[in-house]
Amino acid sequence: MNKKLKKSIEYFFLILLACIFIFPMLWMIVSSMKPEAEIYLDMGGIQSLLPSLDVSQWFLTYKELFSRFNVPQYVINSIIYALVITVGSIMVNAMAGFAFAKFEFRGKKLLFGVLLVLLIVPVETIIITQFTVAHTLGILNTRLAVVLPMMGNMFFIYLFRNFFRAVPHEIIESVKLDGANNWTVFWKVVLPMSKPAVATVGTLSFIASWNDYLWPLMVLTDTDKFPLQVAITNINTTEPVYTNQVMAILTISTIPLILVYIFAQKYILQGLGGSGTGIK
Amino acid sequence: MNTKKRENLAAYLFLAPALLLLGTFLVIPALMAIYYAFTDYYLLTPDQRQFIGLQNFIEIFKDPIFIQSLKNIVLFVVFVIPIQVGAALGLALLINKPRKGNIFFKVAYFSPVVLSLVVISVLWLYLLNPSEGLINSLLTNIGLEAQPFLSSPKQAMLTIVFVSAWQGAGYQMLIFLAGLQNIPASVYEAGKIDGVNKWQNFIHITLPLLKPTSVLIMITTLISAFKLIIQPMVMTQGGPMNSTITPVYYIYQSGFSDRMIGYASAMTVIFGVIIGIITLVQSRLTKEDEM
Repeated sequence: MNKKLKKSIEYFFLILLACIFIFPMLWMIVSSMKPEAEIYLDMGGIQSLLPSLDVSQWFLTYKELFSRFNVPQYVINSIIYALVITVGSIMVNAMAGFAFAKFEFRGKKLLFGVLLVLLIVPVETIIITQFTVAHTLGILNTRLAVVLPMMGNMFFIYLFRNFFRAVPHEIIESVKLDGANNWTVFWKVVLPMSKPAVATVGTLSFIASWNDYLWPLMVLTDTDKFPLQVAITNINTTEPVYTNQVMAILTISTIPLILVYIFAQKYILQGLGGSGTGIK
Repeated sequence: MNTKKRENLAAYLFLAPALLLLGTFLVIPALMAIYYAFTDYYLLTPDQRQFIGLQNFIEIFKDPIFIQSLKNIVLFVVFVIPIQVGAALGLALLINKPRKGNIFFKVAYFSPVVLSLVVISVLWLYLLNPSEGLINSLLTNIGLEAQPFLSSPKQAMLTIVFVSAWQGAGYQMLIFLAGLQNIPASVYEAGKIDGVNKWQNFIHITLPLLKPTSVLIMITTLISAFKLIIQPMVMTQGGPMNSTITPVYYIYQSGFSDRMIGYASAMTVIFGVIIGIITLVQSRLTKEDEM
């Protein structure tokens, strides 16, 4: 009896906590699936956590949103930025990691030391001079300006280097004896043998670039180049503002991340050593 | 060409893209910030840029908004670390016990992590709306008083603390969980033989063995918490009455909105040094822990 009661209390507590963590996202999704007036009808009642009872209303908000804003363009922009940054970041940092792991070259120790020092530079504080650099290069308001600064990453170089060091020298030597050059060794041998590192860097860069807000907000002025995150605040401040439409764009921007978290969950935790976005 | 030279060349070819990108978008901006900090550089009149020595730094420490931003960020950090890390540890301990439905609870507690900072900021802005938001409707439904939340200088930063902790706790819960599962069962069994109770178990076995994980989590949270910008930018624009302005946000406003590159750069240097020191102390602490 006592044990049963204890168990019930425990479950009650666990479910209450689950509600606290889930209800905002639930409210976001259901509010995008009902007319504006219904959202504010019976706020706080059970109705506020249910979509419209009339199923034909469910996707009407999305239709209205798409007619006011070029949402497919924002989605495509976000996908392009995230994919280019992800592939670029894997390539650029893996190549550098390969140099540090498998070559003896002049200045190696010094350069590696400099990279480790760069790890402590808080990137968010130098946004102003990053902006003046982009201004000087004449790439403001271009897609290039969004993606280029996001690719080089010391933490990822470090991660790749550690992974590549585990690839046995004998394998590399034997491939080289067969006439392969350094690029073939990197592309055909070392990189395929380090799939977990590639997956980790890929997952983390995709999430970081998908969520990036401040930098694209600063460098872009044309709305048709906006990624979703910037489009969100744009939609949220363009009169007339409709709550259900704002919730719809929030939902749209979240769906790809849900997929990433489901399919790449085992790589997410590797990111703790890196500088996470926000306060993760 | 001898092999040594060839190896040098090959290595630098592999390094080139990374060095070029990091040099352009990290090293040069960092050095420029240090240089501009001693000038009165105004973006629209670059030709009239003059070297003004320490004047920016003197003005900054007299700037009430900068001082306020430092106070605000300290308040944020002091509250968000224990709340977020404590919640993460609590949740991890709760679901570490085998029971039916645990997967559901784990996914539920983790779910806010998949929302971006912009999404959580906009979402909670609506939920916390003082007159027609869901939270105040719930509060009045159960007989409590409606709260001003983000529109009150007293509550705004604490509200941002809550929203941030709510978003981030699930991620750290998973890290704690991994730490908990690394504690071998034999340790607890030894304790059982000695007749220790659950609380003693927690204080004398679990907590000390979790120390490396906790230190790592606290320090990474600390460093990113100091760089808070998006939540106040989207939710309050630093208000009301500058109660949620943060150093990085103020740097953004002075440098980007007001175009005072020199002044913003000086703040970058000051704040960058503060964060740099914290990071260095961190690497010392974590190294000692590994030994």
